[in-house]
Amino acid sequence: MEPVALLSDWQFVVSNWRFLLLGTVVTILLTLSSLSLGFLLGFPAGAIEVYGDGWLKSAVNTVGVILRGTPIVVLIVLFFFALPIPRLGTVPVIDMQMNAFIAATLALGLRSAAYQGQVFRGSIQSIASGQMEAARSIGMTKLQAVRHVIFPQAVRRSLPGFQNEFTIVLKDTSVAFAIGLAELLTRAERLYLQPGRDTAVIEVIIVISAIYFILTFTTNRALDRLQQRYAIPGGNE
Amino acid sequence: MSLLRIENVDKSYGDEDVLHDVSFAMETQDVEVIVGPSGSGKSTLLRCVNRLTEIDSGAIYLNDEEIHSLDENELRRRVGMVFQDFSLFAHLTARGNITLGLREVLELPKEEAVAKADDYLDRVGLADQGDSYPAELSGGQQQRVGIARALAMDPDLLLFDEPTSALDPELIGDVLRVMNDLAEEGMTMLCVTHEMGFARSAASTVTFLDEGRIVERGPPEQLFENPEHDRTNAFLGELSGLH
Repeated sequence: MEPVALLSDWQFVVSNWRFLLLGTVVTILLTLSSLSLGFLLGFPAGAIEVYGDGWLKSAVNTVGVILRGTPIVVLIVLFFFALPIPRLGTVPVIDMQMNAFIAATLALGLRSAAYQGQVFRGSIQSIASGQMEAARSIGMTKLQAVRHVIFPQAVRRSLPGFQNEFTIVLKDTSVAFAIGLAELLTRAERLYLQPGRDTAVIEVIIVISAIYFILTFTTNRALDRLQQRYAIPGGNE
Repeated sequence: MSLLRIENVDKSYGDEDVLHDVSFAMETQDVEVIVGPSGSGKSTLLRCVNRLTEIDSGAIYLNDEEIHSLDENELRRRVGMVFQDFSLFAHLTARGNITLGLREVLELPKEEAVAKADDYLDRVGLADQGDSYPAELSGGQQQRVGIARALAMDPDLLLFDEPTSALDPELIGDVLRVMNDLAEEGMTMLCVTHEMGFARSAASTVTFLDEGRIVERGPPEQLFENPEHDRTNAFLGELSGLH
């Protein structure tokens, strides 16, 4: 049995810093694309769940239930193999296979939309009904009231929930490992699977965990700042 | 031609009759005060006038136009409302609360809207609070912003839904002063309030509503000094005992 930690294993990780950095770039890109898709679909979905009616509301509700009820690895594998995504080749330098990136963005983004939609729905419902009535009482249409009165307050109240969602999506980009997208975890595995490098598993995993931690920690602090900056003066939220 | 004419209005929520065959009319510059026990339908009646609540039957005319033939947003632009809990837009400053409707509904240019907002803040004695957010203002100040917000839309009629009942006693005076000024300037006002001092000094007519029906209606002196009905007498007696 070999010792768990060898100096040469740490040297091996350090000498491959660039290889892991490129994986970090893919992880960040996937996080941003998934969260953006989740935001663009999730916020309207939340609004539809509160203000919509008929088939649209039930459709949004049903899709949300299905997405929230399916494991993310299942979604990502399903989208990668079952969707007719055109083969767009590979982005050089970061070695990113485009159709795997798209499948991962769809899986993470749609699931995130299902959760962000719930965050936003809760925020809208927490706004006192008098706010809508006051807006309507000066002659604003429902749409104007939602846009100028409900939406700005609901977005502020959604920030803590959005912060959670950000952290979850960032960490869950690692499931793209299942379809071989060259993100951080996939690259980590490529390192320690090299012949004679199986002793470096712990060192490699410690380093990428630290990278994930730094990314979540710094962005969470930044979002805290954002929240303070846009807090309503005198309010208690 | 009456400014507001309410004819045989009925309203019920499920089995519960809230308004029953309510009719009355108001002329321009009238100040109508509605009093009545809790649950008598006062607030519902007010909300029917700007269609935050829809009536079941009867008719309501604003300047001889039936309000259900008007676009509801056009109606609400002409009929302002002041709420019991103020309902200021929490994310906007006092000035922003007033300019929002001026910009979005009346489509005034920004400078004009700001100038108008500041003018109305001045009229309610809050010229120095334009940049304050609702949570930074006292209840009395918030309600005066609420009045300025409704007033700035230049309505034909202002509805007041118990504007002082959420306020601490020492803050009521400032709000009542603003309402008295408005009455003197000739604003047409339909007020649900239990402020008997205001009713005596400013009201042209007082209506006593009980269980969704108008029991008695007349000039304040008549209702307060010589009510025709025992119920009116009993209710007003209770009120003056309270205040």
